[in-house]
Amino acid sequence: MELKNKKWSEERFLEERKKVLGQWKTGEDVNLEDAVEYLKSLPEHKNFAKRLIDAKRNNKTLLQPRAGVALLEEHIELLKYLQDEGGADLLPSTIDSYTRQNRYEEGEKGIEESKKAGRSMLNGFPAVNHGVSGCRQVLESVHIPLQARHGTPDARLLSEIIHASGWTSNEGGGISYNIPYAKSVTLEQTLLDWQYCDRLAGYYQERGIDINREPFGPLTGTLVPPSISNTIAIIEGLLAAEQGVKHITLGYGQCGNLTQDVAAIKALEEQANEYFKEYGYDVELTTVLHQWMGGFPEDESKAFAVISWGAATAALAGATKVIVKTPHEAIGIPTKEANAQGMKATKQMLSLLREQNMENSKGVADEIQLIKKEVKCLIDNVLKVGEGDLAVGTVRAFKNGMLDIPFAPSIHNAGKILPARDVNGAVRYLSYGNLPISDELKEINNKLLDIRAKNENREVSFQMVVDDIFAVSAGKLVGNSN
Amino acid sequence: MEAKIVLGVIGADCHSVGNKILDYAFSQEGFKVTNIGVLSSQEEFINAAIETNANMIVVSSLYGHGELDCRGFKEKCIEAGLEDVKLYVGGNLVVGKQEWEPVEQRFKEMGFDRVYPPGTKPEVTIRHIREDLGIEDLGEQYEMRSIS
Repeated sequence: MELKNKKWSEERFLEERKKVLGQWKTGEDVNLEDAVEYLKSLPEHKNFAKRLIDAKRNNKTLLQPRAGVALLEEHIELLKYLQDEGGADLLPSTIDSYTRQNRYEEGEKGIEESKKAGRSMLNGFPAVNHGVSGCRQVLESVHIPLQARHGTPDARLLSEIIHASGWTSNEGGGISYNIPYAKSVTLEQTLLDWQYCDRLAGYYQERGIDINREPFGPLTGTLVPPSISNTIAIIEGLLAAEQGVKHITLGYGQCGNLTQDVAAIKALEEQANEYFKEYGYDVELTTVLHQWMGGFPEDESKAFAVISWGAATAALAGATKVIVKTPHEAIGIPTKEANAQGMKATKQMLSLLREQNMENSKGVADEIQLIKKEVKCLIDNVLKVGEGDLAVGTVRAFKNGMLDIPFAPSIHNAGKILPARDVNGAVRYLSYGNLPISDELKEINNKLLDIRAKNENREVSFQMVVDDIFAVSAGKLVGNSN
Repeated sequence: MEAKIVLGVIGADCHSVGNKILDYAFSQEGFKVTNIGVLSSQEEFINAAIETNANMIVVSSLYGHGELDCRGFKEKCIEAGLEDVKLYVGGNLVVGKQEWEPVEQRFKEMGFDRVYPPGTKPEVTIRHIREDLGIEDLGEQYEMRSIS
């Protein structure tokens, strides 16, 4: 099938759908008419999109954890705990890694092994294996909206199942769930597969059901320069809007320098709205900040400091939602108690900072301009190489390294750019690879890194990158020896 | 002796940052690294080890399924005639916070020579590689390439 940034006809969507539902036996139980009825019967307070809009109008930052285990009953118990004890405003179901790779047989095995072992052997909830009946049971056991959070290059069947189960938000996108999450799947393929997921959301939207879509902002979660993640977020937002999605949440992963992080969220919102307007899309846009996605300190008290710093950033940036980390981050998947602790710390910080923002800071204003200019260079070029088509341009730009994500596993990513922190801890470009960023902007970047190098009495080099990657877990933001 | 290492991330795991750092650190050390990257099966590790005549396989797993993914790995290595190849594994090997010693013990029983908890610095593994393969540390200074 030819890739173009053009809304799929309903015929094409329904034709494709037959194949999708055959991917695993639980696909049989997905019936669109029944799903529309079911979604319409749900109370408003279980609708993800409505909850977000309400928060945006009231300048509130909502709290959402990550969580998922293999077995249905345990998963429900976990979510109820995070809702009641953790004070979640929105609930996730984090999907296990076998499901993300469409390995449903292995998912089945993981469920069996978990039953035998008496503990979850999977790192998330295998929603496809549990099917519509299981996923509806999850929704009916809680009283707040549900979202699937995953990392699935081909999430078509998963999306069918979760939406038919009344989960009104889906995370992911053709770039953000490929380049950081896959090794050899082509971008043509994932862009098509995510057009399907967006078209499915659009199908429900046309029938009066609000479905929220959230491209995955943080990408590899490791020193991603804001202009890279904002560019990808805006592209995925535009691609979703073309398929009929009206409720979009664009995300950003905290980098650590407060000024830059606040600016990145503000730049993302402003610039995405500018593009939506330019292309005539009527989108209700909200934002999400992900607390620090890199390595965490093992000591739980130190981890709480990192969590709180992310919470403060989300509050001061005015993000609509914050995705919360836990004090167990350094060692893997948290217990429900640890998860709730991270949420409580976050909530406390959000309410302390509720009345404050950083809108009038000159540093923030300058940084917003810098990020927006860099993003414009990148998106203009995507449209240029795509001869006006955003989807085609995305594929070509990645092929030429004109879009490039640091540390990503995909062989379709050039992997030529390198980030490093400047003397204030803001993330800059150490190496641009083939990114079409203007000389004027490069000069600003280079100067900032040179100051750090001078300060540390060493050359700007790959060792700085390594030092920066390990820095936060060792208790610092900038990986220097001072 | 020369260190010929097959490096990769096992199973359905796509965590790539540490993999790239280890590749860099091992290569800087003069070890010969064949990096098969993320989402690699046991068979891919073994095939790469046979093709490159490797004397060590370093397995990473960050996502919690390590226990399921690593079962039977040593047996498969033996079947393939790789019984003398050293097996290292490291990362977030199990789901949830568990005591380290039993986890280490479980993986040692599965046939791994060294088992590392999350956040292990490359220097530690490099020292063990030298010890286990009998490679002398010549005390060479890291040569830092400037890339910018």
